[in-house]
Amino acid sequence: MHEFGITSRIVNTVLQAAAEHKSTQVLEVELLIGRLTFLNPAQVQYSYELLARGTILEGSTLIIEEIEGAVRCMKCQRINSLKLPPQGCYDPFPSFCCPECGGSVEIIQGKECLVKGAKMI
Amino acid sequence: MRKFPGNNGVDKIKIEKDLLLDQQMLAAENRRILDRFNVKMIDIMGSVGTGKTSLIQQVVKQLKSNYRIVVINGDLDTTIDQERIGSCGVDAYQINTGKECHLDAVTVRGMLKQINLEQTDLILVENVGNLICPVDFPLGAHRRLMVISVTEGPYVARKHPAVFMEMEYVAINKTDLAAVMNVDVGELIRDIKGIRVNARVYPISCRQQGGLGDLATALLEDI
Ligand SMILES: Nc1nc2c(ncn2[C@@H]2O[C@H](COP(=O)(O)OP(=O)(O)O)[C@@H](O)[C@H]2O)c(=O)[nH]1
Ligand SMILES: [Mg+2]
Ligand SMILES: [Zn+2]
Repeated sequence: MHEFGITSRIVNTVLQAAAEHKSTQVLEVELLIGRLTFLNPAQVQYSYELLARGTILEGSTLIIEEIEGAVRCMKCQRINSLKLPPQGCYDPFPSFCCPECGGSVEIIQGKECLVKGAKMI
Repeated sequence: MRKFPGNNGVDKIKIEKDLLLDQQMLAAENRRILDRFNVKMIDIMGSVGTGKTSLIQQVVKQLKSNYRIVVINGDLDTTIDQERIGSCGVDAYQINTGKECHLDAVTVRGMLKQINLEQTDLILVENVGNLICPVDFPLGAHRRLMVISVTEGPYVARKHPAVFMEMEYVAINKTDLAAVMNVDVGELIRDIKGIRVNARVYPISCRQQGGLGDLATALLEDI
């Protein structure tokens, strides 16, 4: 739902990097989105195309890689991944406790919205 | 600019900037400001109409003799909630987010500048009415409370596990309507705890003023 706002920050981040590199055209941008965020990659992609128009990002490719969630047990420190089926629903629930010892867990991966880098001329 | 032969002048540059991590760092800055003044902040989230404003009114009534309370109301366009809170005898500040679906740390930071933090013990933030988006945007609050209500039906937790996974405190409001809505509150609690074992879930009714004391105590315990 907030894809447009976040994507405009993505675009600004790349524009700033491009300006620092005195680039005249950006060709490709690499983005990593965590599966535990509420960002829909398809909507980020769509917003990106709209927001890139009229800038040196126009026509560039946005490559979105998704990354699974992972949690660490606060009791035994073990790390487990929270695998989502492709349609994006948990089935059955993640019980959000450590599968080894039942302890409470904290999210250590899956909340990313990381602009990794870009190819530019 | 350097052009490398063989790559047609294309440069691959590293940026490595995480926009949601930035939000967490901005939230941490807010927290440092609050802690400097020993002010506690609670972020109250939930869909439109679940009872966030009603809950704040009740909590204010319970706590205002012991805490100097300020309320921040996030809303798209009106000051209705600000006026409702103002009528409880505490200061209420309105943030109109326009078209944003959530408050963020920077907006709240702007508010913290306006509030006299030295004269404040507790800030209650009513986030924009939305179950999902505020979860991605921490504000720096000491507690995050999700308010749901039985009028959204029995499946709200089950359908949004990724939301409830992150919620340590959940209030189930309008329990006075549970029978009419055909919702089993016990089952809703089990759903929430099935997603997050250590979630603290409080059934309340703002209408009948039930369960609010327990909730307020839990929110302020070891804060
Ligand atoms: N029956 C019942 N109605 C409630 C309760 N709490 C709030 N409401 C009603 O629900 C509606 C929305 O409440 P409000 O506090 O404005 O929700 P908000 O949008 O989350 O701030 C209002 O008409 C309230 O009177 C409750 O415990 N029981
Ligand atoms: Mg309200
Ligand atoms: Zn464990």
